[in-house]
Amino acid sequence: MNNQKLLEVQDLVIEFTTDKGKVRAVDGISFSLNNSETLGIVGESGCGKTVTALSLLKLIPSPPGKIIQGHILYQGKDIVSKSESAMRHFRGKEISMIFQEPMTSLNPVFTIGNQMIDVIRQHTHASKKEAKERAIKMLERIRIPNPERRIDEYPHQMSGGMRQRIMIAMALSCNPKILVADEPTTALDVTVQAQVMAQISELQKKFNTAVILVTHDLGVIAETCTNVLVMYCGKIVERADVSTLFESPRHPYTRGLLTSIPRIREKKLEKLPTIEGTVPDLLHLPVGCRYADRCERVRDHCRLEEPPLEKKDDKTEVACFYPY
Amino acid sequence: MDTFIYSLRKFFQSIPLIFGVTLISFVLMVYFGPDKTYDLLGKNPTQQQIEEVHHQLGYDQPFLTRYFIFFKEIITFDFGYSDSTGEKVSSIFARTIPVSLAVQLPILISGNIISIILALIAAYFRGKMIDKSVMFVAVIGMSVSYLIIVILFQIIFCSSYGLNIFPVQGWEVESFTSYLKYVTVPVLASVFLSIGYNTRFYRAVIVEEITKDHVRTARAFGTHPLKLLFKNILKNSLIPIMTRIIITLPFIIIAGSIVLESYFSIPGIGLVLYDAILTGDLPIIKAAVTWTAMIYVLSLILTDIMYTVVDPRVTLK
Ligand SMILES: Nc1ncnc2c1ncn2[C@@H]1O[C@H](COP(=O)(O)OP(=O)(O)OP(=O)(O)O)[C@@H](O)[C@H]1O
Ligand SMILES: [Mg+2]
Repeated sequence: MNNQKLLEVQDLVIEFTTDKGKVRAVDGISFSLNNSETLGIVGESGCGKTVTALSLLKLIPSPPGKIIQGHILYQGKDIVSKSESAMRHFRGKEISMIFQEPMTSLNPVFTIGNQMIDVIRQHTHASKKEAKERAIKMLERIRIPNPERRIDEYPHQMSGGMRQRIMIAMALSCNPKILVADEPTTALDVTVQAQVMAQISELQKKFNTAVILVTHDLGVIAETCTNVLVMYCGKIVERADVSTLFESPRHPYTRGLLTSIPRIREKKLEKLPTIEGTVPDLLHLPVGCRYADRCERVRDHCRLEEPPLEKKDDKTEVACFYPY
Repeated sequence: MDTFIYSLRKFFQSIPLIFGVTLISFVLMVYFGPDKTYDLLGKNPTQQQIEEVHHQLGYDQPFLTRYFIFFKEIITFDFGYSDSTGEKVSSIFARTIPVSLAVQLPILISGNIISIILALIAAYFRGKMIDKSVMFVAVIGMSVSYLIIVILFQIIFCSSYGLNIFPVQGWEVESFTSYLKYVTVPVLASVFLSIGYNTRFYRAVIVEEITKDHVRTARAFGTHPLKLLFKNILKNSLIPIMTRIIITLPFIIIAGSIVLESYFSIPGIGLVLYDAILTGDLPIIKAAVTWTAMIYVLSLILTDIMYTVVDPRVTLK
């Protein structure tokens, strides 16, 4: 069982039914995650990062969304077929998720202690008192000053950074194997972003958690991730370990994203550096490569056939006929 | 303590409101209300009789004097005696308000509990069959006339065509069993109606809450749907729901339900008020107006206090 992956996503397709037709937000992606690995997912807005992240907990809003095809194997067992009540024991216990909006992600009318205790008691047999002690210990871990007092405060009495750290503490309070973080720092002040990321990395080491980090910030990826998926229009266009990706990106899209990295590090842009041209509408996808219209290496062949994600060398997989 | 001081201050600030409302009502009663005289004297009274009655009722006093008397009554809470029966107004209220409350409170409580539960279920399954069925029943409750519902319930429960287990109307309450006997059908009919309006309103409130981020967070941590609905979502939706409930209190306490009480011959405050308005029984109307204004102000203060209980972000200022 040594070679069994912690998480394995196979050929996942997720569709949304909209007024204008069916939209494939995620179109046949496959990836895997090892114990205590940190996997980054980057890509432009709307490419399906959040949908991918939500699907790992079967939290796709349905309707309109639906997993059409594919498998999500957690420790070898498929969760796509799991019932909603089975998923309840799974969420927060095996895989936890934190969201982009710390200001609204916590319930405004309950104390943070109340919410943390709820999560702990949902997944353990702890008494109220034990759960509270455990929650206080988690707050100490993330170095919230005066945890015994602050645990009785409400979310609105805390800053955005602190709320996001509390979300992280909550997410890790039941020792999940995987933490899915969907742009955990995008909504925060630049000064707080680094602090929150450092906290995630620190707790990840302490608890031996694997992390899936969805972000716009390539700098964050470079600092924290071991492997990276680059997504474009619901597909994975490149997969590589972090140093390979930054040293020798193969896909023209990845290369386009990376060329402007030094500049984003200085200016701390919230959006990815822009590449000329627009992302095709998911309702009217071209037959061939989805990046063709914006690609500098495009040839006729690219517009006729879609390139599959293939191993180009032993470190990288690329979905391109003419990679760098 | 803060709450107490706040309430006191709020109440004193509302005194002009109470006097404004009573003044306007008084002007309407004096200049546009019915004249009690003919009700008392019957047809063809002599001029002298008319003047005598006018004097008895105080109609011959100048407006300011009459308002001053009313003012004194408001301050002392003593509205004198009914022009029709001669019974003391306070004892009429003391006799009839408990009867109305005995009918209205079960309606208010069970109607709202049922509506909230239905609204939570409908909102949770929004767009699905369950939601549509609940809303269908709600719309029926809203759109069918009260009269038809009352008659229907009377046929179902009180006639030999139906179950025939309750009296059609009346109010001979001596024990809890006889209370249940007379109260059940009016309560059922009204609850059915109130469910229509309430469920629609509450569903809208809850649907808005259910799409919020914190609900997604709770789901992402495996919260059970029942806990999600009855804890996380309900407490957040409570402010609009409570406001709606508390604001109806003054009308329930003082006005009861004229329609309900007349269909079921329930001797509550609703019927008394109805007669008083028709015949121009000023002492009773004055008392009702004053008490309604007063309880209204108290309800507003109560809503403010409840806000702070429900939502930690609200403080009394
Ligand atoms: N609730 C929904 N209803 C309909 N379509 C949706 C819904 N959620 C997502 N989609 C579709 O899925 C696509 C991918 O959305 P997703 O939120 O995963 O993008 P993203 O990569 O996370 O973007 P961002 O960087 O802006 O967060 C969207 O372009 C949209 O077409
Ligand atoms: Mg997103």
